[in-house]
Amino acid sequence: MSTGAGARIGVSGIGLVTPLGHSLTTFDDALFAGRSAVRALTLEIDGLDAMQLAIATCDFNNSERSTSRLPLDRGTAMAMAAARDAFAMAGLTETPPDGERLGVYWGSGMAGSATFDETAIALYRHKRRIRPTAVLTTMPNAAAAELGLLFGARGAALSYACACASSAIAIGEAMRAIRGGWIDIAIVGGHEAMLTSGTLAGWHSMRVTAQPPADDPSTACRPFSADRAGFALGEGAAALVIESEAHALARGMKPTTFLSGYATNCDSVHMTNPDAGGQVRAMRAALRDAGLDAADIGYVNAHGTATGAGDAAEAMSVHQVFGDAVPVSATKAIHGHLLGGGGAVELIATLRALVHRSLPPTANLQTPDAAFELDFVRGQARPAPRLRHAISNSFAFGGTNAVLVASRADLTD
Amino acid sequence: MTATAAHATPATSPTFNTIAGILRNDFKVEAAAIQPTTTLTDLGLDSLALMEFVFAVEDAFHLRIPEDRLDPREAGITLQRLCEVIDDLPLSSGSPAVPPFGSLAAAVIAPLTSARA
Repeated sequence: MSTGAGARIGVSGIGLVTPLGHSLTTFDDALFAGRSAVRALTLEIDGLDAMQLAIATCDFNNSERSTSRLPLDRGTAMAMAAARDAFAMAGLTETPPDGERLGVYWGSGMAGSATFDETAIALYRHKRRIRPTAVLTTMPNAAAAELGLLFGARGAALSYACACASSAIAIGEAMRAIRGGWIDIAIVGGHEAMLTSGTLAGWHSMRVTAQPPADDPSTACRPFSADRAGFALGEGAAALVIESEAHALARGMKPTTFLSGYATNCDSVHMTNPDAGGQVRAMRAALRDAGLDAADIGYVNAHGTATGAGDAAEAMSVHQVFGDAVPVSATKAIHGHLLGGGGAVELIATLRALVHRSLPPTANLQTPDAAFELDFVRGQARPAPRLRHAISNSFAFGGTNAVLVASRADLTD
Repeated sequence: MTATAAHATPATSPTFNTIAGILRNDFKVEAAAIQPTTTLTDLGLDSLALMEFVFAVEDAFHLRIPEDRLDPREAGITLQRLCEVIDDLPLSSGSPAVPPFGSLAAAVIAPLTSARA
């Protein structure tokens, strides 16, 4: 079954611009070693007390231009770089797909907020005119629009802004579009690049970001730890090319990993407080969508933001769905919280676990919270020779939950 | 490259070289197309890119070209003319300079009337 409800969707290409690196090799190296890219930043704004933050930045030269040769928001430039790599890995650069059947499904939580921040500084502090591209670079669909232009996608160019679940939802909705027969192939993923003064200060004021420890700032984010203290803001982009099996086979591709299930729902409980009940319903719905039981899942890539309430709710919901037998890890400890791009990065981490049959550790998890009855992967990567299916959780401000189920091909494929 | 106007800015002047560098590196304009006699409309840039080019020039030379002097009814400004205007402007230091620069936006503003909102 190539399309229709329950069909698995092949993953043909991956591209990354992350604090862990811009290639799968460098990403894998850091992922399975649990090597953190988090560092300390002292944010100084005139008239305010200095703010201590932990951030994870990308080594990325923002010289990319739009197809119209216009300057781009940093996040959009990252999106284009990541998507170009995914497109190439999928073997589409030389033989592009039918644009009418190609869609772009992209997520970002705050989209052009960095450009907006810089524009406000230019306008109010430096009395500069607003740039003519200010609207085009800050609008939430800027990246999807540029990607659509870059790759000639005429089937769809859609943007999803659901905070920290944005890119997971973009990926899941593209799955649905392929299953429904609306398109055959999609460039999916998300980005976030909002590490500018005003946006950083906004996150700092919410008291959800970690203080970088003086002795080792790279340990600032400690998911599921008894001494967890919040997350490190990250930046980057992650892109995948996904397609129906029939489309892949018709062009001679044989995917080795698949998206097999997806669900999204909403807690409708509180703007920021998570609800374990909503998360349980989302995970169970994703398993149903994949036609799998909880016992089929061999790894959970947790949302794991290292906030007090967030990790507590997720530990409870994962335990309720899977019991204490399934291995769990959270990779935000090393690449930071990419917000709208996080779901895509963490899905890729999940896919790499499936490819290598190895589970990435949760870095900085020395002493798990005693209340959490889960099997945390920590210290070092854990071999998982029989791993076949895994899930990636994304739970957002606003109560939106998204769960993706990923699988690897088995011997009968 | 040759300069043809009566009080031309030489094509090898620092001003022209800076502008040429912006066009080549940031706006990916072919070097052969960047001549003193090239009009802004012949650079192959759309209206938004032309306006961004103006911003890039302002940033590079630390000056400001007032909007009220950008008259869309005039057309045909060349890179050479742009150099002359830049060289005549004082550096930005508070109040913006007002250049003899009535036609810069000719190729910039008018096309926006057809932009999709």
